[in-house]
Amino acid sequence: MTTSRDYKRKKDLLLLLTKKEITLRYKRTVLGVIWSLLNPILFAFVFFVAFKIFMRIHMENYTFFFLSALFPWTWFSASVTMSTGILLGNVSLIKKIRFPRYFLVIATNLSQLVNFLFAIPIMVGFACVYGGGPGINWLLAVPLLIVIQFVATTGICLAVSMMNAHFRDMEHIIGVVISLLFWMTPIVYPLDMVPEAYRGYFLFNPLAYLIPAWRDVFMSNIINWGSIGISFGSSLIFFFLGLLVFQRLGKKLDEVL
Amino acid sequence: MNSIVDVGDVWKKFPMKREKPGFKEFLLTLPKFVKRNTGSYFWALKGINFQVQHRECLGIIGKNGSGKSTLLSLILGTIYPTNGAIKVSQNTTPLLELGAGFHPDLTGRENILINGVLLGLTKDEVLDRMEEIIAFSEINQFIDMPVRIYSSGMYVRLAFSVAIHADPKLLLIDEILAVGDEAFQKKSEDALRGLIQSGVTTIFVSHQMSAIKKICDRVMWLDGGEIRLVGEPEKVVEEYLRHSGYF
Repeated sequence: MTTSRDYKRKKDLLLLLTKKEITLRYKRTVLGVIWSLLNPILFAFVFFVAFKIFMRIHMENYTFFFLSALFPWTWFSASVTMSTGILLGNVSLIKKIRFPRYFLVIATNLSQLVNFLFAIPIMVGFACVYGGGPGINWLLAVPLLIVIQFVATTGICLAVSMMNAHFRDMEHIIGVVISLLFWMTPIVYPLDMVPEAYRGYFLFNPLAYLIPAWRDVFMSNIINWGSIGISFGSSLIFFFLGLLVFQRLGKKLDEVL
Repeated sequence: MNSIVDVGDVWKKFPMKREKPGFKEFLLTLPKFVKRNTGSYFWALKGINFQVQHRECLGIIGKNGSGKSTLLSLILGTIYPTNGAIKVSQNTTPLLELGAGFHPDLTGRENILINGVLLGLTKDEVLDRMEEIIAFSEINQFIDMPVRIYSSGMYVRLAFSVAIHADPKLLLIDEILAVGDEAFQKKSEDALRGLIQSGVTTIFVSHQMSAIKKICDRVMWLDGGEIRLVGEPEKVVEEYLRHSGYF
């Protein structure tokens, strides 16, 4: 009885914290939540114009190719960038009320996931125009990839948020690392453009195989089990490493906040 | 008698950190830095031992910096003891800083919801009590406006109202009886006393000796991180005041 109530309370708390993130993002805006949909549409438009008119890249459907990787990437990079400020921005909450601190990290990640969900209709639109349209494989692959990316991102955000509470240098490092990672991930180029000799290093990048897996689903309705398997393995590794850092350094959190 | 809180030989130290040196100093002192000078520590609590029984109200008094707030944070569980162990067998409701966790851009109602759940209720329970909480806080027509426009009085009234409606089992109070104007102060004191008399276990930190004597069953005097005296409120308070030079 008490445990089921406790479970329900935890679930309520997590959802409320997520909702708070989303509400705050659009507080004092005129359009409100519409921005969640408008943002990816405008993004798509900008790159469509850029690649169709100004920078004509010799690849079929390059806008679709690029966006199918950019949207999941944005979920990841926004979460990680925001995670640097999560613990520092909630000092009074952390010091004066007891609740699982990792909820703050997960809530941020979830709120960014919601943003990503709003980009999926745009992928559906592109798939209808340029591909065979969304296929049956989407139903399996999209939720699966969401879970994998959620696990990997959570792990990294846990580590980053806690490390930044101890060493504020982290947020400066993260800024650089994120833009490095952007070019080290097959977003603007396909994975097979990477020389064979360097591919091994890509295993250290949690997104290097995840992003192509997204692309295979969105563009060709293919479930790429190889990429998914590698991504799944690395997401677990990053999750447990992140959790370890979070727990270890978390014991001294009160001394540094 | 079963004890709700069991504090066993608890020590807590804080590192005495100086402001980080600049980059130039960092380079110049790099060799020393690598050696990791462990620096000095400040012992906020030195071997604290006590129990709080079910339905008891324990008062804690002492000078500024004697370790009262550190002790409350340890019992709440937001910080960990350096040595020793603390066992708490109830959900605690802190009244340490009113409005911790309020977000200025959220409305009063939205803040009530989040804060209520943070303090231990489920969402449905908070929604059930929403009108009660609003009524007690006397915020009325401002409840759907962001709390950043609230006066400081309205802010703490709302926070206090959420806290006492959160079904406290173990209340931790850190000097907050002065909430709002005189009428509301009276009302909040009555509400707290009602809670305490209804059998909520309470740990109460205050500098108001009259309130301590009125409310508490037992008083503990902390001095420099150690327990100086525990016992009857009248006796401990008198001893404390004499020591502090009021008599």
